[in-house]
Amino acid sequence: MSAGGPTPPTKPQVRALNCPHCGAALTLRSFNNAVTIVCESCHSILDAKDPNLQVLQQFKASADEKPLIPLGSRGKIRGTEYEAIGFQRRTIHVDGEPYSWHEYVLFNPYKGFRYLTEYNGHWNDVSTLKALPEQVPNSSPPKVRYLGETYRHFQTAKAGTSFVLGEFPWQVRVGEADVVTDYVSPPRVLSSEKTGSEVNWSMGEYMSGKDIWRAFRLPGDPPEPIGVYENQPSPLTSDTMSIWVAFAAFALALVVMMIGFDLTADKREIFNGYYKFDSNKRGDASFVTDEFTLSGHTSNVEVNTSTDLNNRWVYLNYALINVDTGQAFDFGREVSYYHGYDSDGSWSEGSANDSVAVPKVPAGRYYLRVEPEGDPGYGVTYYTVNVKRDVPQYSLYALALGALLLPAILLTWRTLSFEHMRWSESDHPPIKWGNDE
Amino acid sequence: MIRILYIIYGTAVLLGLGVAQYQGWSLATVNEVKNVPRSVRDNPGSYRSVYSAYHHYTGGK
Amino acid sequence: MSQPSSTCPNCGAPIVFRWSSSVQTVCDYCKSILVRSDLDLKKVGQVADLPPDSSPIQIGTEGVFNHKPFTAIGRIVYEYDQGTWNEWHLVMNDGSSGWLSDAQDQYGVSFAAPGRHLPEAGNFEVGEPFVWDNVTYSVSTITNAHYRGVEGELPFQYWDKTDVVFVDLLSESGKFATIDYSDEKPALYLGEMVEFENLSLKNLRQFEGWS
Repeated sequence: MSAGGPTPPTKPQVRALNCPHCGAALTLRSFNNAVTIVCESCHSILDAKDPNLQVLQQFKASADEKPLIPLGSRGKIRGTEYEAIGFQRRTIHVDGEPYSWHEYVLFNPYKGFRYLTEYNGHWNDVSTLKALPEQVPNSSPPKVRYLGETYRHFQTAKAGTSFVLGEFPWQVRVGEADVVTDYVSPPRVLSSEKTGSEVNWSMGEYMSGKDIWRAFRLPGDPPEPIGVYENQPSPLTSDTMSIWVAFAAFALALVVMMIGFDLTADKREIFNGYYKFDSNKRGDASFVTDEFTLSGHTSNVEVNTSTDLNNRWVYLNYALINVDTGQAFDFGREVSYYHGYDSDGSWSEGSANDSVAVPKVPAGRYYLRVEPEGDPGYGVTYYTVNVKRDVPQYSLYALALGALLLPAILLTWRTLSFEHMRWSESDHPPIKWGNDE
Repeated sequence: MIRILYIIYGTAVLLGLGVAQYQGWSLATVNEVKNVPRSVRDNPGSYRSVYSAYHHYTGGK
Repeated sequence: MSQPSSTCPNCGAPIVFRWSSSVQTVCDYCKSILVRSDLDLKKVGQVADLPPDSSPIQIGTEGVFNHKPFTAIGRIVYEYDQGTWNEWHLVMNDGSSGWLSDAQDQYGVSFAAPGRHLPEAGNFEVGEPFVWDNVTYSVSTITNAHYRGVEGELPFQYWDKTDVVFVDLLSESGKFATIDYSDEKPALYLGEMVEFENLSLKNLRQFEGWS
C-alpha cells in the first residue's frame, strides 16, 4: 500500500556537474553525502553542498597521484559492496623525513562510509567508532582498551593532507594537519584524530594487497609489502606458543624416559682389576685380562680407569675383544692430572680418573687387551680398570633435549625479530641489536 | 601446520633416544675391528691398536 | 488497523491513512499539511521542499525492532549546525507509535514516555544524571535545531516550528533518552541505539546504480 501519488519519492541520482573553475566534468557518486568534491583537472576543492560548487581551496600538485583503486571501482568488503569515491595522500614528518600513506573513501548508500588505508603495500580496512575506547590509567607507554582488547601506543604524529581526489563526507583541505595517534593490537589498530577540539576514533583491521585486489577485481598484482606494518599480524606468534607447550610435554616425557632407563638398566659391575705400569721398564707393556661375560641385550660397556697420577699423564690403549667372534672394540684413553699453585691461587687440570662408554657391544665372552704408555722417566703408576655393563648415557639425554629445544628457539627468535621490525618503526623503538652508535 | 611438524619431529627424537639408550649408544670414539685372532690372548703384543704409538705431552701451567 | 480514506480539501486527491491514530498527514499531490478530526481534514499549512538527503529509509520502509515489526509512515526533518536528520514516525505491529532517529549513520529507536519527572528548560548540565525506569542516563548533548519539514503521517500536529531544543542523554548500556523542549510541556522519549543491520529493513529507498 503505497502513499505515493503523482509525485513519487525521488530516486537519488548520480549527478554529473561541471567544475566552476575550469569547466571539467565531475561526477557526484555519493548522492547527498558529499561535503567536498575535488576537480581532478584543476585541483580545486569545491563545496559539494553548495549548488554553485563554490571553490574552497585550490592546491598545487607537483605530481599527480593515481590511486591504486580507481575512483568509481566497486569492491566487496565484509560482504557489502562499496564504491571508491575519494582518495587522499597524508604525510607525516619523522626526524625531518616525510612519510606518506594513502586513504580511500568507500561508500554504500545503505551502509554508509568505510575507509581503506595503504602504506608500503600494507592495507587496512577502517571504520569510524561510535563508542570511545577507555584509557588505561598509569600505563607508560600509553594503552587504551576497547571491547575487551588492550591496544598499545605505537605512534603520534601530525598528519597533513598533501593530495586529494574525489568526494569526501567531511571538509578536507590540503595542508591542514591533525594530530593522529595509533594504538595497535595486531591485526587491529585504533586511531584517534584530533581536529581542533574534536576527537574522532576509528578502528582498522589489517588486509593484504591480495585481499584488496581480489575484493575489487583489480588487474595485475598488488605492490609488494615492505617491512613490517604497525598492526600486521605475526604469522608465527600462535605457533611459537604451541611449540613451547609441546616442548614442555616432550621434556616431561624425556624425564620419564630417563627415570625409566635408570631403573631398568643393569649397571652391573663385571670386572675389576688392579695394575701397575712402570714407564721406565723396556719392552712390551701390553697385557690381557681374564675373560668375563657380558650378558643381556646389546648395550654399552663402561670402562672406568682410576689412577694415582700426580702431575703426570698416562695413555691406555684398550681393546675389548670378543673371545668367540674375534670382534674387537678398539679405543684409547688419555689420563692426565696436573695441579699446583701460582699467583692466582691453586689450579688443577685434568683428572686422575677416566670413564668411557663403549657403544653397542653384543652379549658374549670378552677380555680386555691393555697397552699402557707413559712419559719415560716418570716411573710407576698404579691404576684400576673397572668394567660395568649397561650404564645410562646422560649425554644422550642432553643431546635429545637440545634437539627438542632448537626449533622452539629458532621460532621464538623469528617471532621476536618480526616484532623487533614492527616496533622499530614506532615511537618506542626497541634497543638496537648489533651495531651501536 | 608447524605444530604438527614439530610433534612428529619431537616424537622421532624421543624414539631415537629410546633406541639409543636401549642399544647402548655413546659418544665415545671407538673403532670396531673384526677378526682378531685368538693368538692375541697369548701374545698381547701382537695386536696392533689403531691408537698405539700415541705420544702426548701436556705442559703444566 | 482500519484504513479510513478521505479526500484532500485543497486539491481533491485521495488521502489514505495507514494508521488509524494519525492526527496529521501531508497530501502527496499538493503538499498541503492536513490535520484530522475524525474524518474531517483541514488544511493548516504547506510543506516547502524538503532538503535533499540520502537516507536509505523512505515512507513505507518496513523493519523489525526487538522482535516487533514496524512500518515507517511519516517523518519530521530537522536541521542543525552539522546538517539535517530525520525522525521517522514508526507504527508498530500492535498499533503503537515509535520513532526512528536517522542521523549520519547513527540509528536509534525510541518511544514516548509520558508522565515522568522532567527538568525545566535550561536547567541541566552535560554529565548530569537522571533516572527513569531504573536506568541512569547522563546528559551528553544539547542540540539547537530547527524544523525543516514534514512528510507522511504523524501522531500529533507538528509544523512550522522554529527553534527546537533537544537534550540527549546516554546510559552505559547503549540506551538513550531525548527530551524535546519544542512545546510548552517538554516530552521525554526513551529508546536504544541500534545497528542498521539489526533492523532487518525492507523496502528501502532505491539509489541509482545500486540494487
